[in-house]
Amino acid sequence: MLRALIHFFLIGALLFAAKVIFAGDDGDRPEITVRIPPDATEAEVDREIEDQILLNQARHYRWYLGDPVIFTHLVRNMRFIEPDSTDDDLTLFKRALEMNMQEHDPVVRARLLYRAREALTYVPKDRMPTREDLEEHRTAHRDRFEREGKVRFEHVFLSGTKRGEALASDAVAMRAQLEALGDAAPTELGDPLPALRAVQSSTISQVKAAYGAELAGVVDEGVVGSWRGPVPSVYGVHFVRVLEKEPSSVPALTIIEAEVRADLLSEIEEELSKERMEVLRDAYVVHVERTP
Amino acid sequence: MSRSLSFPLLASIVALIALGCGDDSGGPGPDVPGRCAAFDELRQPFFGDTHVHTVLSLDANLQGTRPGPSEAYAFARGQPIGVQPYEDGNPLRTATPDPDRPIDFVMLSDHAEYLGTIAACNDPTSPAYDRPVPGGTSCADYRDESQVDQVFVLLNGLTASSPEGVEYPALCGSDLGGDCIEAGKDVWTQVQEAAEAVYDRSDSCKFTSFVGYEWSAGPGAVNLHRNVMFRNDIVPDLPISYFDEPYVEDLWAGLREQCIDTDTGCDALAIPHNSNLANGTFFEKLMKDERPFDIDYALLRNELEPVIEIFQHKGASECFPGQAISDELCGFEILPYSSLAAVNLQAFSDPDPSDFVRGALGEGMKLELELGVNPFQHGIISSTDTHISTPGYDDEKTFLGHGGAGQPNRDSLPEGFPDIQYLNPGGPAGVWAEENSRNAIFEAFRRRETFGTSGPRIVPRVFGGWDLPSDLCDSPDLARIGYEQGVPMGGELSDAPVGGTPKFVVSAKRDPMGAPLQRIQIVKGWLDGGDYQVEVYDVAGNPDNGASVDLATCEPQGNGAADLCAVWEDTAFEPTQHAYYYVRVIENPTCRWSVRQCVDANYDCDNPTTQFDFDCCDPTVGLNVAFCDSVAAGLTGDEAACCRTDDPTSSTKVTFCDAVAQTLPAADGQCCLPRLETAIQERAWTSPIWYRPPS
Repeated sequence: MLRALIHFFLIGALLFAAKVIFAGDDGDRPEITVRIPPDATEAEVDREIEDQILLNQARHYRWYLGDPVIFTHLVRNMRFIEPDSTDDDLTLFKRALEMNMQEHDPVVRARLLYRAREALTYVPKDRMPTREDLEEHRTAHRDRFEREGKVRFEHVFLSGTKRGEALASDAVAMRAQLEALGDAAPTELGDPLPALRAVQSSTISQVKAAYGAELAGVVDEGVVGSWRGPVPSVYGVHFVRVLEKEPSSVPALTIIEAEVRADLLSEIEEELSKERMEVLRDAYVVHVERTP
Repeated sequence: MSRSLSFPLLASIVALIALGCGDDSGGPGPDVPGRCAAFDELRQPFFGDTHVHTVLSLDANLQGTRPGPSEAYAFARGQPIGVQPYEDGNPLRTATPDPDRPIDFVMLSDHAEYLGTIAACNDPTSPAYDRPVPGGTSCADYRDESQVDQVFVLLNGLTASSPEGVEYPALCGSDLGGDCIEAGKDVWTQVQEAAEAVYDRSDSCKFTSFVGYEWSAGPGAVNLHRNVMFRNDIVPDLPISYFDEPYVEDLWAGLREQCIDTDTGCDALAIPHNSNLANGTFFEKLMKDERPFDIDYALLRNELEPVIEIFQHKGASECFPGQAISDELCGFEILPYSSLAAVNLQAFSDPDPSDFVRGALGEGMKLELELGVNPFQHGIISSTDTHISTPGYDDEKTFLGHGGAGQPNRDSLPEGFPDIQYLNPGGPAGVWAEENSRNAIFEAFRRRETFGTSGPRIVPRVFGGWDLPSDLCDSPDLARIGYEQGVPMGGELSDAPVGGTPKFVVSAKRDPMGAPLQRIQIVKGWLDGGDYQVEVYDVAGNPDNGASVDLATCEPQGNGAADLCAVWEDTAFEPTQHAYYYVRVIENPTCRWSVRQCVDANYDCDNPTTQFDFDCCDPTVGLNVAFCDSVAAGLTGDEAACCRTDDPTSSTKVTFCDAVAQTLPAADGQCCLPRLETAIQERAWTSPIWYRPPS
């Protein structure tokens, strides 16, 4: 882990320095030629340009010199080419470099590209979100972290299956019974239904998922303290009295810190990667050749 | 097509730095009971999925699945995600969750065996990345698109090794898989961080995530898999894989040693699944040394495996049709395969009847007579086992296939069904818990107050007791009385009063978006001497309600119940006999997913060419889309105009289609396979209530 971190620090710093290094006239800017098939899409062209630039950067700073995987790989190549050699690994590695093997080997290319792309998204310590950053992000993107409002309501249910044809008349009687209760709780009234409570606290979405849109609408619009119903659902009819409404809210940072941090870090990584790539692209003169 | 991880390894490193070096926020505080605003001491139903695979699972990865944990959680929380196949990096299909069918909790259960292998093979800094494996599978092979099928068999097939010979893939190095284990640490961190980032710690408690993985033992290609679920964010340093511990009792021992017994707050359980694919070995009563179960084994199994998946993508495991006990409803979603390998190879072979849960419940009671402990005291859940990162995606109407043991759909849009026709979308795990929090749901699993369904959000409830009032179905206080005077699903009855008989209040409500209910059944199993007996009772509703479904349109016919409730007394109860009682809630008939797709495609088994006619003129339907697109794209002039006409009876068009229909892919013939179920009766199963006589 530590080894990887040191690499990322170095790579990040080197990449970021590109603008400074190549900030001269066009004449000073490095040129690359990217050859792509005639039918390549714009996205494919962009990808190839970026790969070439990143490879060029990695080679410019000779990352292959301190890389244990490239070292092992090139030594293995050399031992394959020179099976009888008694030279030590370092000598073979140097010889591989003299042969420019690092320029053409596909594994070296893949590894350099991988490291470069990882470096693009590396978040340096000074960009790590502070608590203030997290709070700002939470506030600026309330929609991402908002919790739906809740309604606490009393709920009386009459089962259509159980009451059959008497449901309508039973509903009329129940409505009258509820009105007569005044502010008293509707204890022991109605039929049971799994998960239905005499008093429950739910979001409107939860009411909709459990009983359908019609009842959800009535609960949503309900005035505190008044019985509404009968409201039909697939189960029968419902009577509801809203006791309390709690508006939607964004939880405090202490509660959703992991959620906010993950969201912000993802943004930072994307932003840094884009910024750094733009810096690199500005620093290069790119020629595109479409070749069959 | 790339098979790299969808998010970089660096993310975990960055987040680790953040965790280690950030300012001290104080954190959200402990997950104490009552944290949620909607806390209900009488408990409420929550639906979840504890069996989900993402790009981190080797099989899913090789099948072209790209969404990782974050995307899977995004899907679970309502966001559509793209799924394979991909073209130019863009997904050709979209999985869209139903906003009116939210899922409350999810555990991602990527295969533990290859978490590090995939990471190592995608990370050039790993020594495994470039390691040659003479005569074996290397990371280069893994990355070689042309070898994907071979690699799938060779690498994934290592979990089919015998326990004595199993080892990490050679590409992981000679140090007992050291390079892959090392790479796996970062991935395991990612899994934990992804779970933490979506766990709603506010009092809204909208969504709960669990950290978990799948231990994928498949000796001889039979399925002995277990999903490991952790109570909270305190977890071991690494998952235990089949390569680490090839015997299930060593998995349990490892979980005790590395988690449960550490006094750190870590807690875990294991969830078996797909006993139906074990070739008769899932409930074998032998330990790893071939001796019969001893008390320690039975205790450990009872403690660590409180629930079992009775239903998922790879079929139902409740009961096998044609056994001594007549139960016509046992034929539901039974796979015509006996092992995992048979599914992969599509080699028809009848499952072994001893691999089904109902039999195991009886064997468990027998073992309890011998050992004093029931090692098969399983509660019930369902899940999806999706391998396309889509938790809770279990609707028959929108099934895209789940990959895994099913059809990959990696390289192109499916011609015909999107999955092996005998597989299914799976169903949710249900729990009765006080609130939607990790602690409350984990506790529900532990006490087996769980249920599973075959897809619909049916809500079943049952209480058993000696003195439950006979008119309990009239009381809005049913739940309170049930808890005060009885035990819920998963509970145990004992201390039978002299001359007393157990009563059960069973109730269920239909899925508001599903079909009405037909009936509620109680399945009773008991030991009569040494004989295991089973009886199925219809206790509410009407099995002869006349409801059906029009298979030509999938329109339901007839009526059913929106909710059902009954108090049932076991008048045949014998207080000296061990017994269990579980509830099965049955919907009215509906079309199976495969029939729905055939109906949507206007496929007529009596006249297949008419299907081609409609299908090619509307290539948005479910079957043969790619084929019809290719045909339509090749049409010009009159033929194209003809095929695009709104008049399906156009003689020119019919003539044209008749001619081209000769080339219709065989896939559509699946619509008419006689072995496929057509009308199904979706259902819910509760955990049993056990009765234990005085010793």
